[in-house]
Amino acid sequence: MKASGCAGRSIVRVAAFALAFGVFALSSCAQKNAGKKLYIYNWTYYTPDSVIEKFEKEYGVEVVYDFFPSNEEMYAKIKAGGSDYDIVFPSGDYVSIMIKEGMLAPIDKAKLKNFGNIDQSVLGRCDFDPGNVYSVPYYMGAAGIAVNKAKVPEFERSWSIFGRKDLAGKMTMLDDMREVLGDALKYKGRSVNATSDADLALAREVVEKEWVPNLLKFDAEAFAKGFASGEFWVVQGYAESVYAELEPARRGDVEFFIPKEGGPMYIDSMVILKGSKNKDLAHAFIDFIHRPEMYAEFVDAFGFPATCNVPARALKKGPAWYTAEALEACELKADLGAALEKYNAIWQEIRVGK
Amino acid sequence: MSQPTALLPSCERRTARRRNYGPLYAAPQTLWLLVFFAAPLGIIVAYSFMRKGLYGGVTREFSLDAYRALANSSLLQVAVRTLLVSLTATALTLLVALPSGYAIARSRNQAMRLFLVIVPFWTNFLVRIYAWIAILGNEGFLNDALRALGIVADPVQFLYNQWAVVLVLVYMYLPYAILPLFSTIDKFDFTLLEAARDLGATKLAALRRVLLPNIKGGLVTAVLFTFIPIFGAYAVPLLVGGKDSYMLGNIIADQVTKTRNWPLASAISMTVTALTGLAALVFLYRMREHAEPSLGEELLPEPHAALATFSDASHGASGSFTGLAGGAR
Repeated sequence: MKASGCAGRSIVRVAAFALAFGVFALSSCAQKNAGKKLYIYNWTYYTPDSVIEKFEKEYGVEVVYDFFPSNEEMYAKIKAGGSDYDIVFPSGDYVSIMIKEGMLAPIDKAKLKNFGNIDQSVLGRCDFDPGNVYSVPYYMGAAGIAVNKAKVPEFERSWSIFGRKDLAGKMTMLDDMREVLGDALKYKGRSVNATSDADLALAREVVEKEWVPNLLKFDAEAFAKGFASGEFWVVQGYAESVYAELEPARRGDVEFFIPKEGGPMYIDSMVILKGSKNKDLAHAFIDFIHRPEMYAEFVDAFGFPATCNVPARALKKGPAWYTAEALEACELKADLGAALEKYNAIWQEIRVGK
Repeated sequence: MSQPTALLPSCERRTARRRNYGPLYAAPQTLWLLVFFAAPLGIIVAYSFMRKGLYGGVTREFSLDAYRALANSSLLQVAVRTLLVSLTATALTLLVALPSGYAIARSRNQAMRLFLVIVPFWTNFLVRIYAWIAILGNEGFLNDALRALGIVADPVQFLYNQWAVVLVLVYMYLPYAILPLFSTIDKFDFTLLEAARDLGATKLAALRRVLLPNIKGGLVTAVLFTFIPIFGAYAVPLLVGGKDSYMLGNIIADQVTKTRNWPLASAISMTVTALTGLAALVFLYRMREHAEPSLGEELLPEPHAALATFSDASHGASGSFTGLAGGAR
């Protein structure tokens, strides 16, 4: 699950995208696609403009790129029948929901020359869509912890950092129940998808008794801004958000790590909606993303490791905030169905505070 | 036989003209309100009585689950907190708005001052919240200044608590209180104050017993215009609040976007709407009842008069703000 976009930043991005795609990409090759449009519904700024422009040029099509800030919002919009998107990028739990609800078209792997580039271990983890009948992994990642080393020189790479009283009032965690409760569950050696009352009570106690007293707030909107300005010293969040706000010169002062206990992890996938009118073009786009050089360009834009695409790892030029190995201890968030209600009840009480 | 009828029409047409065209003239507005106010409200009412869908949305069966879920101690706690924050913020807003409105009404440069009150509206709401974060942050302008002046050694934690929420809310809704107050104070006959002084009232007593009762209408409007939106505040507590700043607006948003419980979100909204609507009605009614009869109707401006002035004022912001002072008179 990608960072729920920063409200401020996304406005700028919408404007940037509007400019980028307001101009028609004209092309001389691939005449058969002339005038065609590919509608993509993706997380706020999750595919670099440069990659999309290259696709437009090569195929002579126009890509229309819309954003969503959360899976819930994306799902509600598509379920309401609002739009005719071709490709959507849901997280694993929502892939399984959308399959169950019959919203997806099967993927024709014969059309994907680059499917073989995808890491087998990632494919093996796609329990939400065994055999990848309906989905192709786009990125596998996890939220982690960013630490301002100038203010906090010594620290353990563990969730226990949120229990440090000397950092009270300088730390934030995501305003996201699956993340925070999942962290506490992992910290206590339980599954991030635990649904037993005992496990959840344990997680609640860790969050309420050990962590919350030291937190300044729960923040999924502006944590990266606050971290970049020096306001927050330790934040739980998404690497790409931290990376985007931080001036390159200051990146040396910051360490981003995935705690050794692991945490909740996500695989965001590309799926084709049943109602898509451009299924061939949609397959072409998915295949294009998994060209090693394109995938490398994508992950470099966000400081990601090339988790899903093996040959891209050699082509990648930039550094990554964390390694693919760091994700080994992490666990994929599954759809909890009706058990989600238990998480809701606990989370509401944590959020209400004192 | 066409002659006589040809003579008739003009007078017949005149009687026809006297038919009530009111509803016809009001049709665009009625349609607008139906489509953008009544219909959405109807949907919210309907959703609040349905069962929640497993993955968001609703299933179409009647259920009182959402209203049963309202009786929940944490919800009640948030409701009380929201009420306290709203009351504090409204009281502080009035405390600042009253002298401001008075000063503007008495100044010779009304247009300019009103213009300055409206200027912040030109900047996006979210951008102004982020501006406050830049001012109040530990590394912000205010702390930098305090440190440079040697007043404090360590930064003061201004942000991420209830007071930051109240401060930014007061800032956001101040114009909504200043404008109606200004418009009623402006209509006030200030020679009444002199008369009161001549009759032996102290300066304060004159303001309290002559001015205040006369600007009740403006006060009512100012309270309604600040309290109601503050009660539903969402972005301000989210961005400048701390871990204990969760308000009703945040619960409603989270129920829709995160926990997939649309009926509960609808039920909370309905309850809030019903309660604030009721409170506003009672408030208006009581204000009217307690108004001293000697004041006369002219001296007790109706809230809607202030409202009209207010909308004049907001139009002024988009262009001819010179017409603004005129409109207020």
